[in-house]
Amino acid sequence: MSPVAVKVDRLEKTLGKNKVLRGISLEAGSGEIFGLLGPNGAGKTTTLRIICTLLSPDAGAVEVLGFDTRTAAEEVRRRVGVVTADIGVYPRLSARENIAYFAELSGVSGGDLTRRVNSVIDRLDIGPFAQQRAESLSSGQKQKVAIARAIVHDPEILMFDEPTSNLDVLASRDIRDFMVEARGRGKCVIFSTHVLHDAERLCDRVTILHEGRVVATGPTAQVRGTHRDLEDAFLELVA
Amino acid sequence: MRTLRIVFLKEVREILRDRRTLIAIGLAALATPIVLIVISQVSTRTATQTYTVGYSGDIPAGLDVLLTATGLKLEPVPDPAAAAKQEVDLGVVFQTTQIDEYYDPTRQSAQIADTRVQTVLGQYNAAKAAAALKEKGIDPGVLNPLPVTIHPLSSPVKAAGNAFLSFFLPYILVTMVLTGGLSAALDTSAGERERKTLESLLLTPTPRSRILLGKILAVGLVSLTAAIAAIGSMLLALTQIPLLGTHVSLSPLGATVMLWLAVLLAGSFSSLTLALGTLAKNFRQGQAYATPLYFITIFPASIILFIPDFNPNLAYYLIPILNAVLVLRDAIVHNAVAWPALGVTTASLAATGLICWFAALRLFTRETLLIKS
Repeated sequence: MSPVAVKVDRLEKTLGKNKVLRGISLEAGSGEIFGLLGPNGAGKTTTLRIICTLLSPDAGAVEVLGFDTRTAAEEVRRRVGVVTADIGVYPRLSARENIAYFAELSGVSGGDLTRRVNSVIDRLDIGPFAQQRAESLSSGQKQKVAIARAIVHDPEILMFDEPTSNLDVLASRDIRDFMVEARGRGKCVIFSTHVLHDAERLCDRVTILHEGRVVATGPTAQVRGTHRDLEDAFLELVA
Repeated sequence: MRTLRIVFLKEVREILRDRRTLIAIGLAALATPIVLIVISQVSTRTATQTYTVGYSGDIPAGLDVLLTATGLKLEPVPDPAAAAKQEVDLGVVFQTTQIDEYYDPTRQSAQIADTRVQTVLGQYNAAKAAAALKEKGIDPGVLNPLPVTIHPLSSPVKAAGNAFLSFFLPYILVTMVLTGGLSAALDTSAGERERKTLESLLLTPTPRSRILLGKILAVGLVSLTAAIAAIGSMLLALTQIPLLGTHVSLSPLGATVMLWLAVLLAGSFSSLTLALGTLAKNFRQGQAYATPLYFITIFPASIILFIPDFNPNLAYYLIPILNAVLVLRDAIVHNAVAWPALGVTTASLAATGLICWFAALRLFTRETLLIKS
């Protein structure tokens, strides 16, 4: 495995009366697409939220590029970019203004700000609608803006939480292409999804969660084993 | 400071592009002059309106001229008591040795007609008595053994104008500071959750306290702008529209005190409305949470409407909103500032703002903020 970028150690978390995570451990490396898989309610989103410091763990620890999420939350957030299924953007700001706002909040300033914003606009082909207010954009265009704002500060770790669930086929393909490209640039890409078919095509390694526990982890081919596909392997694991 | 400025400027930009907030400010600026025009016209009409007195019997010589000159129209009726119920404003029965008056105190027109008749009859009786004494060689001055000469220390007309401002201006100030920024506050808090931008915002390395402060400053600015627009347009209208027979204006001291109070109120209200908006899942729920605020703020703002001479001790100035209303009233009516009262008021409003700020920050940093989203 490539150098460890994210290390999750025996993570536990209870939300309300629901024990969501029951001692999860995993490691994701730089230059790989790491799949966090499982059905709805397995604990994928909670795990990602703890990694990116939005939630704190009840027990266990998370290290991101050597920074503890409890004691160095700001340092962790500087190094992480997150794309979720909720492609909320500020409707009265243009696509460019949305991206620039998040870049500035992430510490990008001066000439670097314009350069970085222009760079992600070019890379994601946002140019034709960059000056349009976000309220007039299509779902696919909004998703591009959401990705752009997550990567504009050039984070080493990219997390995608069910990023294609609200998108059509073409927009979904763009996202997948982007993840592959990010891996090529040495980023640690964590891809959380319940669509096992997508994961099988993209991920170098996967961890399958079920009811807050890790039920399988390792290289994708190894987890699939002798089964026809990852879905069959998963069904046997949770049966 | 840099991130604070970034959040503040972004929020202001979004607010300026939000029609709801702009319409609220525009309406506030338009509404107060319209209300003033209506008040001015109603008060002028009331002062110059002629009221009808239904009478029976013979009117004493000369009295009819006096009554008519006072804006009272005399109309003979068979039964003045019955007529006073609806047909006329007042009923009068003239007898040889006395006058019987009938009026319905529930009718405002009857009250005004009664006051006019009493004034005229008082002057008529005094003139008659003086003439009778003079005829008998007695100095009419005996009727008025202690004559009083009134020396008003300020213009009574100006005082009446100040009295009007003293209850109207605090009311406008408090309600406009609250309502002017409410839409912006809910949009930037509950709206952030509704649009699902909150998670991305909290993922940035900017400390949440700075994000919140940037939002509060932007909402406070909008509140202040709305209040100043409403009050400015009202004062401008007052220079054009005569009210109570004069052009009412706000003294520089009153304006300074008002501005200071507006800043303090805007700080408190923007923190409070943002805290309420943070509790809400969406804009509509935020509006429901904020509705009781109208009653909580309007009650103290209205108290001087009901008790114009309310002069409480210093402890009352600890009560937020009521203290601002009282300090502003005193600055307008007396054109002076009671410094202890202003000091207590400032401390009270600053403390209220700080408490609201901590409440908003606590809500903004809770994990449930995201889980509920």
